[in-house]
Amino acid sequence: MSNFTIPVGPLHVALEEPMYFRIDVSGETVAHVDIHAGHVHRGIEYLATKRNIFQNIVLTERICSLCSNSHPQAYAMAIEQIAGLVVPPRAEYLRVIADEIKRVASNLFNVSVLAHLVGFESLFMHVMEVREMMQDVKETVFGNRMDIGANIVGGVRYDIDGEGAAYLRAQLDRLAPAVAEITALYRTNGSILGRTRGIGVLTRADAVDCSVVGPVARACGIDYDVRTKAPYAAYDRLEVPVHTLADGDVWSRAMIRLAEAATAIDLIRQCLDQLPDGPISCTSERPPIPPGEAIAKCEAPRGELIYYVRTIDSPRPERVKWRVPSFMNWDALRFMLKGAKIADIAIIVNSIDPCISCTER
Amino acid sequence: MSKLPETLELCLATTAPAGIEFTSKTDAKGVSCAWCTLASKDDLLPAATFMKNLGARLSTITILQPKAPATPAPAEGEAAVLPTFFGGVASDGKTFEINYHFDVNGDTVTLIAHVPFGGNIASLTPLFRCADWPERELMELYSVVVSGHPDPRRLFIDPSIDGAVLERLIPFSALANSATTKGLWEKIMAQTGSKS
Repeated sequence: MSNFTIPVGPLHVALEEPMYFRIDVSGETVAHVDIHAGHVHRGIEYLATKRNIFQNIVLTERICSLCSNSHPQAYAMAIEQIAGLVVPPRAEYLRVIADEIKRVASNLFNVSVLAHLVGFESLFMHVMEVREMMQDVKETVFGNRMDIGANIVGGVRYDIDGEGAAYLRAQLDRLAPAVAEITALYRTNGSILGRTRGIGVLTRADAVDCSVVGPVARACGIDYDVRTKAPYAAYDRLEVPVHTLADGDVWSRAMIRLAEAATAIDLIRQCLDQLPDGPISCTSERPPIPPGEAIAKCEAPRGELIYYVRTIDSPRPERVKWRVPSFMNWDALRFMLKGAKIADIAIIVNSIDPCISCTER
Repeated sequence: MSKLPETLELCLATTAPAGIEFTSKTDAKGVSCAWCTLASKDDLLPAATFMKNLGARLSTITILQPKAPATPAPAEGEAAVLPTFFGGVASDGKTFEINYHFDVNGDTVTLIAHVPFGGNIASLTPLFRCADWPERELMELYSVVVSGHPDPRRLFIDPSIDGAVLERLIPFSALANSATTKGLWEKIMAQTGSKS
C-alpha cells in the first residue's frame, strides 16, 4: 500500500477558519497527524494590556463570534473578584439567560455543519433555520446577532421587561419542539448514523490525558461542567443536568450538543420563572479597580473557559490571559484521526467544534 | 466548603523544600482558589507531580514579566534595597513569573515560579500532555527556555519571525505590513528581485 503525506487545510477543513493538518496516510487511512496553527494569530493578549480595564470588555467580546458572550463574562467575573464587587441577583440571572441563548445558537450551528459535511444539505438548512429563531431572539433582545454586548463589570447592560419575557417564552415554545425533532432525527437517521457512529473515537483514558473539556469530554464519559463544578452567576440556584455519553465518537459529541441545547432552553425558562427584581448592575459608574489578581472560569458552549487577570496601579491590566476550550481539544484530534478514512477527516475535525480565532487569539 | 484537601498547604510545603507562600480563598458560592508561590523554581516539578497524583488537570499556564515596584531612594550612606519576589529572585521588571493553573474538581490551584531573565524552567509536558501547547506558546512570547520540552517548535508565530515578541516593541507599520495588497506585493517583489 502506498504512503503519502497530504495537506488538509489551511482553508476550509470544515469551517471557514484556517488550520493546517499535515496528514500521513497509508492508502486511504490516516497514520499520523501534525497540526500547524497560527494563521489567524492576532496578538489580542498583548492588545489587552494596552487597553484600559473597561475597554477590554469590548475587546474580549471580539475574540470569537460564537462564544462572544463567554469571554466578557469571564473577564468581568475576574475584575469583579479583584474589586470585590457583588453582582446583583437579577444581573446574575440575566447573565445566565445571555449565556444560554448563545449556547443554543452555537450548538445548533455545529450540529448543522455536521449535516452539511455528511452531505445531508436539507437537514443542514433545516437546523440553520431552527437556529435562526435564536438569532432573532438575540437581535430582538440585544440588538445584535452575534456580539450581544450583554456584560459590563458589575452586572449586565440589558434588561428584560414583561413584554420581552413573553416574546422570549414564545420563541422558546417554538424552538423546543424543533430541537426535539432534530434530536430524534440525529438519533435515528441512517445517513447521519452511518457517517458518525464509531467514527473519530476518543477513549476516556485518552480524553483525560489530553485534558479535553466541554462536550468533547462529556461525550467520553467525563462528568465535568463548570456550571456545576464551580458554579457562577445564577447556576447555583438552577437545575443544571450534566449530560454524558460513553462512546466518545462523532455521534456522541453531536448528541451531547443537542441535549445541551435542550437543557439551555430549559435553563432560560427557569431563569424567567425565578427572575428576581432589582438592579442590573452593582454600580452606575466605573468602579475603582485595585491592584490584584484573579481567576475566573465559565462554561462556554465548547467547554471550560478560564481567565487570569492581573491588575496593578494603572488603568491598564498588567496581564490578561485566557485559555479557550478549543485550545485543549485540538490535541485530541491526533487520537480521533488515527486510523480514520480520509473522507471522514472533515467530519472528525468539525466534531470538536473547533474555534480557531479563539485558539490563536 | 472548599473541595480542596485540607492538607494541601502542608503537602505542597513538603514537596517544595525551598519553601512556599500559600494563600487560599473560597467565594460565596463555595468555589476555592489557592495560590502557592514556590521559593525555588526547581521545586516546580515535584510540586506538579504532587498535583498530578492529586488528580488535578493542568488548565493553562500564564507567563508575564511583572513591572518592578517603585523603590524609595535609599537614605544617605545606605545601599539601595532591591525588591525581590518570595524566594529571593530580583523583581527587576525582567524576571519571568510563570503561573501554572490547575483545576481540582472545579477549584483552582495556581503554582507560581519566578525565573530570572535568561533562566530556564523545567517542562511539565512529560507529566501533563496538555502542557505541550501552552509551553510552546510561552517560549515564543518570551525568551524563557523550557528545558526538557519534547517538541519545542513554534506554535503560532512563524519561525521566520524573531522570537520573544512580547519583550519587544513592534511598530504597527511593521506588524501590519500586509495590511494592503499593494504593500505586500511590493515587499515580495523587492525580496525576490523581480520586476513588476
